[in-house]
Amino acid sequence: MNPAKILMGAFLVNNIILMRFLGLCPFFGVSTAVETSVGMSAAVLFVMMLAAWVSWLLYHVLLLPLGLVFLRTAVFILVIAGLVQFVEMVLKRYMRGLYSALGIYLPLITTNCAILGVTFLSIDYQFNLLQATLFAVGTALGFALAIILFAAIRERLEDAPISPSFKGYPIAFVGASLVSLAFLGFTSLFGISL
Amino acid sequence: MVNSKAWMVISLVLTCIIAAVALSQVYSITRPVIDDQAAEALKASLSEVLPEAAEFAELEPGTVWSADDAAGNRIGIVCKTSPRGYGGPVTVIVGLDTTGRITAIGIGANIRETPGLGLKAREAWFRDQFRGKTESEVALKRDNGTIDAISAATITSRAVTDGVKQAITQYSHYLSR
Amino acid sequence: MTNPPSRWQYFTSGIIKENPVLILMIGLCPTLATSVSVRDALGMAAATSFVLLGSNLVVSLIRKVVPASVRIPIFIIVISTFVTIIDYVLQAYQPALYRVLGVFVPLIVVNCIILGRAEAFAYGHGVFDSLLDALGKSAGYALVMLVMGSLREILAAGTWFGYAVTPSWFRAAPVLFMIFPPGAFFLIGILKGLVNRLTAQKT
Repeated sequence: MNPAKILMGAFLVNNIILMRFLGLCPFFGVSTAVETSVGMSAAVLFVMMLAAWVSWLLYHVLLLPLGLVFLRTAVFILVIAGLVQFVEMVLKRYMRGLYSALGIYLPLITTNCAILGVTFLSIDYQFNLLQATLFAVGTALGFALAIILFAAIRERLEDAPISPSFKGYPIAFVGASLVSLAFLGFTSLFGISL
Repeated sequence: MVNSKAWMVISLVLTCIIAAVALSQVYSITRPVIDDQAAEALKASLSEVLPEAAEFAELEPGTVWSADDAAGNRIGIVCKTSPRGYGGPVTVIVGLDTTGRITAIGIGANIRETPGLGLKAREAWFRDQFRGKTESEVALKRDNGTIDAISAATITSRAVTDGVKQAITQYSHYLSR
Repeated sequence: MTNPPSRWQYFTSGIIKENPVLILMIGLCPTLATSVSVRDALGMAAATSFVLLGSNLVVSLIRKVVPASVRIPIFIIVISTFVTIIDYVLQAYQPALYRVLGVFVPLIVVNCIILGRAEAFAYGHGVFDSLLDALGKSAGYALVMLVMGSLREILAAGTWFGYAVTPSWFRAAPVLFMIFPPGAFFLIGILKGLVNRLTAQKT
């Protein structure tokens, strides 16, 4: 498949949060301020690419040739959890600047279903390594776009006069609904099918 | 004892082994069922558009089949495309007779379209419009063709129509051989 | 003899008071993604319940021999084993449902409620109590899925479990919006708002 289509498809048309419903926990949990959203997005981009590579290699070099595809779920989740811990350790030791920027978001990523979802989808779509990488980058950028846009809206919601029972989550959901409605407009953009 | 270093390692390894053995059992039981089901579903979906055929021989893996009668003569081809609809790819199966006319079309069960709307693409009145048409006639009326779109589901209708058209242009060369 | 009412609460608390989706706000992704129709929604609830019951059962059985330092990886292996089992069973015997649920079946493994119950409950309680707890949480989850699936299917298609339950003029022009992702977000927002209002009135 056309690389540009994979990138745009993952970025806009099938936006991971607003269209696929993956990664909602960080979407609602972290999107209260633009600053934290940017940090989270950077961490997701970083881990998602690493996870895509590692899981792709594991699946095609180890699980598939050995006939162990049924271990996919177990292996992927353990590897991603391990990967996140390892990255955290390396950053802490050798890249203090990056660690102080991304550090607090890393543990939250292990339970982010967007990461695991992307690794499963790359296999279901039978992507090669380049396609899987582009898919991961596009997805992470889509995640960033959605969460940062949404954080900007939520910052304004803080001061809006909202009925007490709708404060917080309920109004955030309704807001997400409107953002998602806008993204529905990207359906069939450039004839992308994914 | 429970918290000794050795037991820590052993317990982890044991869990992994038990899990792997259990899963390999589940896999070996379910795999044949899954494969059979896929093969049967495929055959059924192909016969639906060319019921006269007795056998289907694969020409290109997963996309084109030669439809043969009981004597082994080709009476047409069946091809499969996956254009994008509203909710994801829609599998469209097209049967062509030896003159290149459509015998029937089928919409795959994987359709994740709006239930009740996009799903109307599977209803007979929509699919029957394609019967006997040639490539040049296959387009929605609003795109200067002959097919009535499903009301309020233009994207799905157009996806199906495009899929049919694409299947014909891409694979009808098999008919001339 | 332990106190029966307190045990009963292990079951009931999960349904309303600690409802996983509407109160604790976890497991949102599959709830929104697979509640397009009642059948799909209940299928997802059943698959999740199977994993939750299995994981709570096994974790409560092995809790005394599991070293505290490696308990999380062990729990994850147990959970992913049950997830893979239901993954293949659905693929083999319920292929139509499996196609709809898609990637959300293997993703049950990251549904926080399952690891959460293993760690917070099953690791410290006996087999029977852990099963009660899992049943209660499953019932609470199924309830939300039933409500979401029913509302979305009735509003967007005019049908319930595939049967027409609305007048034909409604089915000719239903509230299509509900089937799409924005509809799911909107509906869960309204539901959460209603729950907030009800719980606020009680206290």
